[in-house]
Amino acid sequence: MLAHVPSTTAGVEDVVAVLVLLTEFAMLRGPLLRSQVRLYAFQSLAVSVLAVVVAATRHVPDIYALAGLSFALKVVIVPAVMMRLLRDVDVDLAGSPKLGVASSMLVALAVSVFGFFAVGSLHFHSSLLPTTTLAVAFAVVLVAFVLIVLRSDVVSQAMGFFSLENGVSIAGMVIAAGLPLVVEMTFLFDLLVAVVAFGIIIRVHHGRSRTLSTEELDRLRG
Amino acid sequence: MTLGLAVVVPKAVQALQVLTILVGAPLVSGVISHAEARLQGRRGPRILQPYYDLAKLFRKETLVTDESSWVFLAAPVVAFSCYLIVPLLIPVLTTYPLPLGYMGDILGGGFVLALGGFSVALAAAESGAPYAQLGASRAMTFGALVEPTILFVVFVVGLITSTDLPYALAGAVRSSSEIVRPGHVLAAVAFFLVVLVDTGRIPVETHTGTLELGMIDEARTLEHSGPALALLQWGSAMKQLILYTILINVFVAPFGLSSNGTPVSVVGAIAALLGKAMLLGLVFAVIDNLFSKLRLFKIPEFLAAAFGIAVLAVVVFYVGPA
Amino acid sequence: MGALLVLLLAFPLGVGVVSYVVPVRVAKVLAPVAGAGAFALSIALVPSVLAHGHISAGSELRVDSLSVVFLIATSFLYLATGVFSAGYLHLDAGPTGARYGRRFYAGMNVFCWAMLAAPLVSGLALLWVAIEVTTVVSALLVAIDDTDTATEAAWKYVLIASMGLGISLLATIVLYYAGTSVFGAGYDLSYAKMLAAGHHLPPEVVRLAFVLAVLGYGTKMGLVPMHTWLPDAHSEAPTPVSALLSGALLATSFYAILRFYQITTVAVGSTFPRNVLLVFGLASLLLAALYLLRQRDIKRMLAYSSIEHMGILAIGMSFGVTLAFIGVLLHVLAHAAAKGTAFFGAGSVVRKFGTKDMTLLRGGVGALPWSGSMLVAAVLALSAMPPFGLFRSEFLIVSGGLSDPRYGVAAVLVVLVMLAFVGLAWSTTQTMLTSGPADVALQATPDTALQATPDTALQATPRVTKGEVSPWIVLAMALGIAALVLLGVHLPADLSRLLDHAAHELSTP
Repeated sequence: MLAHVPSTTAGVEDVVAVLVLLTEFAMLRGPLLRSQVRLYAFQSLAVSVLAVVVAATRHVPDIYALAGLSFALKVVIVPAVMMRLLRDVDVDLAGSPKLGVASSMLVALAVSVFGFFAVGSLHFHSSLLPTTTLAVAFAVVLVAFVLIVLRSDVVSQAMGFFSLENGVSIAGMVIAAGLPLVVEMTFLFDLLVAVVAFGIIIRVHHGRSRTLSTEELDRLRG
Repeated sequence: MTLGLAVVVPKAVQALQVLTILVGAPLVSGVISHAEARLQGRRGPRILQPYYDLAKLFRKETLVTDESSWVFLAAPVVAFSCYLIVPLLIPVLTTYPLPLGYMGDILGGGFVLALGGFSVALAAAESGAPYAQLGASRAMTFGALVEPTILFVVFVVGLITSTDLPYALAGAVRSSSEIVRPGHVLAAVAFFLVVLVDTGRIPVETHTGTLELGMIDEARTLEHSGPALALLQWGSAMKQLILYTILINVFVAPFGLSSNGTPVSVVGAIAALLGKAMLLGLVFAVIDNLFSKLRLFKIPEFLAAAFGIAVLAVVVFYVGPA
Repeated sequence: MGALLVLLLAFPLGVGVVSYVVPVRVAKVLAPVAGAGAFALSIALVPSVLAHGHISAGSELRVDSLSVVFLIATSFLYLATGVFSAGYLHLDAGPTGARYGRRFYAGMNVFCWAMLAAPLVSGLALLWVAIEVTTVVSALLVAIDDTDTATEAAWKYVLIASMGLGISLLATIVLYYAGTSVFGAGYDLSYAKMLAAGHHLPPEVVRLAFVLAVLGYGTKMGLVPMHTWLPDAHSEAPTPVSALLSGALLATSFYAILRFYQITTVAVGSTFPRNVLLVFGLASLLLAALYLLRQRDIKRMLAYSSIEHMGILAIGMSFGVTLAFIGVLLHVLAHAAAKGTAFFGAGSVVRKFGTKDMTLLRGGVGALPWSGSMLVAAVLALSAMPPFGLFRSEFLIVSGGLSDPRYGVAAVLVVLVMLAFVGLAWSTTQTMLTSGPADVALQATPDTALQATPDTALQATPRVTKGEVSPWIVLAMALGIAALVLLGVHLPADLSRLLDHAAHELSTP
């Protein structure tokens, strides 16, 4: 059964969650596709560490399995596949962002403040669960949205989705450690399918237009 | 007799705080340069090399340019004394405030540090040498841009503890009743970036470089020599250790400090502080190796990022969940 | 009765797995058989659900009247699509065709299985898992043709739908978080439990969860402004998949929103969830109606019609009265039949003419006497013409809306539905009922042009011979039309009672 959450744990969870949020900021800033993938790997590592912390401190041994799987998948396999695809297509720089670095950072700051605000305005304090970590997870998800919206290349968009998954994972582990493990597992599975779809689109799209920019993906409209 | 002890011990510990910074600073610098060299595949200088350098400089004579006034020689002394005062105000060795700890709050400490930086810049300006003046003006410019970040970090301390005493924040981190909140972590990260800037590390400055055009902090001391230069270098090492101490003992890991002032615990606290500072120094050495220097006009962007994080830290205290 | 649930869950999955191994001609037969089986099982659930209120098997499976409505809609479309696919797929004799067929049939059966699993499970967590599986499988099905446009559509679909599912998972997590104040840190999110404890849930948290759920599941349901993937995926997927996406998948996502609606209503009253649904419903209806007026691509037109109908469902829920709820649930059933039939007809037309561009399609009914006329009938049904089921359901929704003090909404609903009718009817009659070059000798080989590429669109009107593409297509469409007429003219008594029950579950959860 789940024990009462000790506050030191909540502290550790907050620290890791904030690291994930800052990585998300860095991803929004980084112009190199490779560095985005590396940052994602780092972010996933942080999430896996968080999983271990949650499993150990709340005595939910299932989550060890999740930590292992998420490490194997998100720290090793997905970045490796992405790196390999990037090597094949030989494109280094991300597509031109729709906003300058400074403006997109400001937008990201604003939406993360909104994330905190949304959770803060619930005025609900659970004695069992750390509300603050939920707020950070919200901020991560929102900044991931900003990343997807503001970047116009398929790699950044894929990375945005993958890191959104990381944000939801944090929320899932910290807030809903008692949810059936199958939920998180399915989401990881979705990640794999996204990687497959990503591989296909890279092959087809790059083969056709020699770019990874989404500006070219405009055949379907109206 | 016991009454005498009660008066003497805190003062002795307080003096030890200053001494620890004074004596330990070159050691920490030596460890960092050694580690850096090893990371780059060089054998590197001895760990104690900074002490030898200082000893050598103290034995040399001081040269002063014709144009300089008394400020040129006074400034290093002023800066050095500033760096001697700050350790009185921050939790270097103890968890509880020592008698003179109430002399100034965290802002006061910041002012004293800034005065030290200002006098070094003044001395550089006084030298009349172009590169020294360039370094001084850059240092003041970026210093001004760092200032708001530091202020916001101080606000976070105030929001968490309802005081502006660094001791209280350290206490809050230690006590498990108060959990570490996101704002706190963000403030710590912002302060980490400030330390990067203020100690002249990558990605702001190549501190081992010899190219004057890219220098900021290093350029300021180009014209000094002999004991004056020794004081400046020593002071700069102390400033580095002071900033590390604030980051470690106020924000990140205020553990291993003496809570009762017994000799054993104080010695333990000295060892703990130096050990933690060296670990932190290793982190900086690794960062030095992983990243490259930013172009000069990109530095404000870096500072803006630090500021943004600090602002986020403050804002989440108001809008985020309690 | 619990065994029925297990059977319903196991059967399509088994068929999906088997379809991957056996030869395609066997799989071709298996799919409609599985569909018929699932449909029969769903119908068989009706009497006992009416008698006992709900049936459960273990702690994971549980159906009540609401779930059975969605089970019937999905399994009916499963059956019809199985029949249709047998006539629609023209596979190469070689290994490429066999591989395509294997993938298609395995994917289609598993897709239907996941959509059937969603109403079968007992709680929000497993519901999310089921819907997530539908995304994964259907994304692969959208991309199965491996053309540029199909890839582009699949990419948009994966990205947008997955993000939506991320948000709906967040909604589930937030609701879980709300529940910890009642149940402690470890519990399962079963509906029965959440509804029973609903009064004690912290209202603000539940509100947040509901908004997130509408945003997240609404993305998969095609609510504006999260709809952008929908026209692309529907138009680029193979037609059987388009029919399933439109008729069943959107409804399944709607089902998830309804579950959140029930819990939210208990926790904070129905005003808040109704207002949220009203905003999204009106936006969807308005935008879809406008897009329907200027649509050239026949499958995209049907896709926008789906957005329109999802908007109607959301608005129907926002009326908050039992009468409108009955209409909404009937609408789910009728829309599945009508949209399935319309897509089957569109598929038949595309096969025949080799293009999806309606400015080039002429004389559809002349060339395809049966499926062409039934396509016109299905489009009329989609425009809520009597005697079809959608007329009855929209009539019920509007009557429910007129009992609401805000009857202006019902008026707006009627106006927008009319607008959509103009768009749909104009394009369809232009395409189908004009006299076309149907009797001119065949020159192009349209049957090979599975996808309308821009090149074919540039050519002059394709010349085609008269005659049906396949009797299976006609049979599938006839099934749909029969169901539509049945729902419109004479609602079976048990079905009527089922809808009543389900509507009551929604209004007094």
